[in-house]
Amino acid sequence: MTGEDPGPLVRLFGLTGGRARPLGESFDLVAIVTTVSTSFPPSDLIPEHLAVLSVCRRPTPVADVAAHLKLPLNITRVILGDLRREGLVTIDRPQPAAQAIDERIYREVLHGLRRL
Amino acid sequence: MDYAASEPGVAEVTPAMALKILIAGGFGVGKTTMVGTISEIRPLHTEELLSERGVGVDDTSGVELKTTTTVALDFGRITIREGLWLYLFGTPGQDRFWFMWDELAVGALGAVVLADTRRLQECFPAVDYFEQRGLPFVVAVNCFDGARRHDPVKVRRALGLDGVAPIVLCDVRNRESVKDVLATLVTYAVGGPFNDPLPPTPTPSHSHASPT
Ligand SMILES: Nc1nc2c(ncn2[C@@H]2O[C@H](COP(=O)(O)OP(=O)(O)O)[C@@H](O)[C@H]2O)c(=O)[nH]1
Ligand SMILES: [Mg+2]
Repeated sequence: MTGEDPGPLVRLFGLTGGRARPLGESFDLVAIVTTVSTSFPPSDLIPEHLAVLSVCRRPTPVADVAAHLKLPLNITRVILGDLRREGLVTIDRPQPAAQAIDERIYREVLHGLRRL
Repeated sequence: MDYAASEPGVAEVTPAMALKILIAGGFGVGKTTMVGTISEIRPLHTEELLSERGVGVDDTSGVELKTTTTVALDFGRITIREGLWLYLFGTPGQDRFWFMWDELAVGALGAVVLADTRRLQECFPAVDYFEQRGLPFVVAVNCFDGARRHDPVKVRRALGLDGVAPIVLCDVRNRESVKDVLATLVTYAVGGPFNDPLPPTPTPSHSHASPT
């Protein structure tokens, strides 16, 4: 439950301009985000945007970006949508459906789990 | 062939892939605990802000967050190898949040429906939901009292399951137990064998469900 404290919401509002949905084509919570290495980021980027560009030099799923930013997932997605629009990151579609994932991957996952 | 082998790293470049497993179930059934038990990162617990009107509406006018509700969402990660991750998303199965589930479920490998035998009815909505979506799921009975005296056959009957989805007993605080649950789900999702007291029925007769 959120308490009566309006602080966080106000801050999130500032980060997203009050938007709950990202600009452009929708993308999954585990879509892979990659910083465009050739991009030329404007010098006035807010800290959250800079953090994303730094983290995503290694291809990183949306959910992990949220963990780095310590922000809710859907707020993170709004931020990512903005960065994509600026041409600073790319966001890849993940595998569309479980059925489309080949069996080798499944076996890897199974073995990986057993190894934990 | 030759050129691929001669360039270090090139053969390694399979696209990064992240797989989703959903953890559903009623309040207090152990979702947060389960994610915390298995995640390699400190699980992220967020209060997701949701526009009451849901995801069907594309509103960029900037007023969406004014009409928000929040839903608790836990997420954890398991790295299988560099570039292959398993993500767990745990969130309550409640009617007003189905639009969020719709989004989580897309492309998911499968789901774990956590059940507490003292309040079995609380997992009905999640079971119905995954059945209708045709998303593979296992029912994991969290044995709160530690005693493994719950009878999966009775649970299956009470849930009206058709005999295909596995039912497993688990202790969400125990790592090996959680690994078992996830391995059962993965095996089931890929169509492999699983341990279950009932043999799978060859033709599940779903008259009510229309998987899409
Ligand atoms: N004794 C016992 N307590 C548990 C078990 N699983 C969860 N709990 C406790 O039950 C409460 C609710 O669990 P939680 O994971 O927060 O449930 P959630 O609402 O589904 O996320 C917490 O205080 C847990 O510590 C269990 O297997 N045995
Ligand atoms: Mg919880």
